Amino acid sequence: MAPRRVCRIDDLPPGGRKIVDGGRRGLGLFNVGGTVVALSNYCPHAGAPVCRGGVTGTTESERRYEAKWVRQGEILRCPWHGWEFELKTGRSITRPFRSVQTYQVTVEEGWIVVDD
Amino acid sequence: MTELIIDAASHPFPVASDDLRRYMSEPFAHLRFPTYDAYFYPPPHTEYMATAIDAGGLPGSDPTLFDKEIFGNAGTAGAILLPLTRGLLPDLDMANEICSATNRWLADQWLARDPDRLFGSIRINPADPVRAIREIDEWATHPQMVQIAVPLQAHQPYGQRIYRPIWERAAFHGLPVAVHADALAGNEFWPTAAGYPFTYAEFAAQNPINYTVHLLSLIAEGVLEEQPDLTFVFADGGLDMLFPILWRSNADWRPLRSVTPWVKRNPLTYLKNQVRFCSNSLEGPTEREAIPKWIASVDAEHLLMYASNYPFSSFQAPSAFNQIAPATRARILGGAALECYPKLRRKHVSP
Repeated sequence: MAPRRVCRIDDLPPGGRKIVDGGRRGLGLFNVGGTVVALSNYCPHAGAPVCRGGVTGTTESERRYEAKWVRQGEILRCPWHGWEFELKTGRSITRPFRSVQTYQVTVEEGWIVVDD
Repeated sequence: MTELIIDAASHPFPVASDDLRRYMSEPFAHLRFPTYDAYFYPPPHTEYMATAIDAGGLPGSDPTLFDKEIFGNAGTAGAILLPLTRGLLPDLDMANEICSATNRWLADQWLARDPDRLFGSIRINPADPVRAIREIDEWATHPQMVQIAVPLQAHQPYGQRIYRPIWERAAFHGLPVAVHADALAGNEFWPTAAGYPFTYAEFAAQNPINYTVHLLSLIAEGVLEEQPDLTFVFADGGLDMLFPILWRSNADWRPLRSVTPWVKRNPLTYLKNQVRFCSNSLEGPTEREAIPKWIASVDAEHLLMYASNYPFSSFQAPSAFNQIAPATRARILGGAALECYPKLRRKHVSP
């Protein structure tokens, strides 16, 4: 398909989410701190509608018992098995060699344009 | 070619239970403490092999019988001695003193008589980390003390932070930590998660599963990640029970990663790099022809070390591994122990 307008940018403020038709299994649009991303609504682990999962942060650690909360608002947690994905890349933190499919997004004349 | 055989766990006893007093100081030496066989699950008949019992002493106390069985019949080139203590005593000072006395007795009565073939374990009381560290430091440089030994029974799983200084000290000295069922004569918790079983038979079959509790704790609380050179040796079987739980844990740890972000690798990786199991004659499949397949499926080539378990009736001769492929057998019988114990590797001469 050619790039197409899917939604007004005003309807997707920072932190917002929209599930729209598109791709092979539906799309999730997310505004991550001003950057709009489009992810396939399909978890590569077991096929869950991953874009309905929580937008959250994650933990990092350099030593025992230290769990730093990082990247709040940048992580998508799948509603079925809790796999974590980076919203901006689709890459899985749970299994870094797996990813949710992502689509190119541009903003033109106030419209979010997705090439799906 | 003769294979190099290392017995990774056998258990010497004093001639009489009270002989330990000679190695204790006052005010402890005159006090009462449990005998070795004061179990709350006494085996109904005997738990010792007949050939380890002489007329006068406790089973496993006679060096001549020991040498005949281990160095003679079994053809072992080196034996790691792991003496038992008296269980988790509520009196921590008495428990400490029993450990100290056991170490002095072992060095004096056993290690000194055969510096080339006998190796020892430093008994410590993990419930008292400060004292345990002193005991480790006192013996760590002894050329024949190759590991630290702690009871399988515990009031907290071994990954928990109270034990952290002990494992740090073990790693500092390059000493593996052996975990072995102790005398069950103290204030131990129930040996199963559902309470006290009725019989010795139930107890004996289920007790090794507690190794799994300690191991998952050591992984989850980051001990193995924090101390990558530290090895834990589960010294009395249990490899057979471990794998179904480890498989499950391995499947689960990634989705649950964010709770323990300090655990960087999966459980099976820690297992292969930093954990060893001693063999036990009671484990493995009933059909002997299934043993090679079992050996392969539990990664015994990496994880298993031969142990005789002398003088217990679960004694196992090296011939138990006769049907295993030669390279795997050589590793189980001796190679794995040489890899695990730096002191043994330095000291040991091939047969």
